[in-house]
Amino acid sequence: MTILTRLEQWKEHGVISPEQHAHLAGLSRGEPFSLFLELSVLLFAGVLAFVAGLGWTVSTWSQQLGDVLVLTILSAILAACFWYCFSRAPTWSPAETPSPSLIFDYVLYLGSLTWSVELAYVENRFRVLSGQWDLYLLATAGLFFFLAYRFDNRFALSLALSSLAGWFGLTISHWPSHQDAAYRQYAILYGLVVGVAGALLKRRGLKSHFFGTYLNIAANVVFWAVLSGVFNQQTDGVWFLALLAACGASFAWGLARRQFAFVAYAAVYGYVGVSSIFLRHVTEETAVLSYFVLSGIAMLIVLVRIARRFRREA
Amino acid sequence: MRVYSASSEEALRARNLLKEWASEGFLSEAQYQRMEQETVCELRRTNIFLRLVLFLFTLIIVGAAVGLFFVVFLSHPPAQTSGVFLLIFAAISYGAAEFAVSQARLYRYGIEEALAVCSVGFLCAGMQLAFFSGSHYSPTPDAAEFLIPAAGAIVSLWIWRRFGLPYAFLAAMIFVLFLPGYWTSSHSAQHLIVAAFYAAGLTSVAAVRSRHRFDFLNDGYSLVEAFLWLGLYLSINLQLSSLNFTGEWWVATRALTEFPKSFYWATWMLIWCLPPTVLARGVRRKDRFVIAVGAIVAVLTFVTNKPYLGWQRHTWDPMLLGALLIGVALFIRRWFASGPGETRHGFTAQRLSGKDKQWMNAGSAAFGLVSPHSITPSPQSGSPDVRFGGGDSGGGGATSDF
Repeated sequence: MTILTRLEQWKEHGVISPEQHAHLAGLSRGEPFSLFLELSVLLFAGVLAFVAGLGWTVSTWSQQLGDVLVLTILSAILAACFWYCFSRAPTWSPAETPSPSLIFDYVLYLGSLTWSVELAYVENRFRVLSGQWDLYLLATAGLFFFLAYRFDNRFALSLALSSLAGWFGLTISHWPSHQDAAYRQYAILYGLVVGVAGALLKRRGLKSHFFGTYLNIAANVVFWAVLSGVFNQQTDGVWFLALLAACGASFAWGLARRQFAFVAYAAVYGYVGVSSIFLRHVTEETAVLSYFVLSGIAMLIVLVRIARRFRREA
Repeated sequence: MRVYSASSEEALRARNLLKEWASEGFLSEAQYQRMEQETVCELRRTNIFLRLVLFLFTLIIVGAAVGLFFVVFLSHPPAQTSGVFLLIFAAISYGAAEFAVSQARLYRYGIEEALAVCSVGFLCAGMQLAFFSGSHYSPTPDAAEFLIPAAGAIVSLWIWRRFGLPYAFLAAMIFVLFLPGYWTSSHSAQHLIVAAFYAAGLTSVAAVRSRHRFDFLNDGYSLVEAFLWLGLYLSINLQLSSLNFTGEWWVATRALTEFPKSFYWATWMLIWCLPPTVLARGVRRKDRFVIAVGAIVAVLTFVTNKPYLGWQRHTWDPMLLGALLIGVALFIRRWFASGPGETRHGFTAQRLSGKDKQWMNAGSAAFGLVSPHSITPSPQSGSPDVRFGGGDSGGGGATSDF
């Protein structure tokens, strides 16, 4: 029985009104057919291609074009984008705000990327901050955070979080020694900062729908950092304990909030880390393969039980 | 032929639609509860994250179990013996997949999918070892070896039909790519054979899917048709299918001399004809996947046109392409918006489904993380010889520093 037949029956039995039936049957048949997603992807690809070409052209032809022309063009695009966004944006609200138009988010994205290109150009040409890229990244992260919260824009939020990560990384790259350990610790610090900041902003009711983005990024960064510590054979068991703690937290969060991505993170990262510890000094093929069979079956049973439990509760 | 009953899959589709409509507010909670009770389905499903993890762990278990069997019971066996056992494992994996569906009623659960995938992998590896392991390496492979990709393609197609897994169809298309290499050394003929296979597939799918326009099979056929259109285009576009990723392609100096001139220019004509054809079919059938492929192949045609013609690329070409894409998107949006009810010919630019928003949110968060690093120049170290600009125009600026 197709959905159209079911809708017809539900209408005849009075479960839905004739108006609802007409609307839902239309949706089932694709009438009207929404091209919202396709047009959004087209705009995104267009902006990305445009800025890629812009950056390439500027970097290739800067000497022929001259600084004044390059900076004028980049500044004009930047000013036009930000003027558009600030003039069209609705009044700020801490709650989720719908975009005023289909193109609004992409104009903001274009402006944000153009800002990055212009900043790179200015520093490379004029060395205003003597190559202190970390300061640029920090300032850029600040700007993108502001744009993300002002315009309720996830593109800008992701740009801000990646710029902040770049700042953490570049700051450490200036240090003379112990880089691996430093990267690891600062990656965890970055993850914790992002996670805590996201939680605090959510608690204060500031764009609380962004929290998922914060948490996913924080979880992955922390897991990667802890796993790299577990893989390092010179480190002690602290990283292994940290991995178990991170997996436990992620697992509990995923189950409590029904966010299964976190259950998956705990399962996969945890399995990789625990396996690397167990198999560190095992060289016999039979033992290694037996481990994978038995541990895999154990994981499968646990995951199937979880899946069943949530199926029952759904 | 299908392992799931039509009523079960139709009920699943109905449940998904009801859930979406309820979340959009088109149905009240009471209506949703009542209607959901009438679409009860015995199939066992899970969410995408657990599905992926279950798939992964099943692959680990099966791979390790087969490895363990060889280590414990067969110490350094002849290749033929290994091949025969792999063929047996292929049969066992497939049987286990069928069992998981028939007994445990698993549906897109990861476990049965991994078992089916393993059966194809074991089959191909087993055939290679059992029947062709004795032959030494030769630049011209044994013609009978085509049976390996042929068997892979046939079993993948069977799994697609039986379990409804769209990526099994994609695997079958990839297996087809390897077939002509065993039959002819002519590159033109190889392209034609692959294109002929995909065209035959398209004809068959187009003939079959018209009967399933409004039932649960429509989405699956839509995806398969989109794969076939994309495959057909890629097999025809010589610049893409002969792609040398080391950079020759960008500077347009690659000489595609292995193709006869008439064939080369015929394919150039075809890459311009296919995008409007695909787009027209997608729009006429209101088929989201086919429209998406139509747009992708249109962009690919613009991107590969200059290398096809042997023209020099310029650094501003991506800007022009970007401006074109933005212009087209804005024009279409405005055209729809000016129609009655912001709708024209049954199409609208308005968001009608909550799924679109979810996709956009996930996509914007993911691409926002990736895109700045791919399009903005990376900061240079404090090296004194770093310069800005000065790209070699003959090389399209590809050698310049930033």
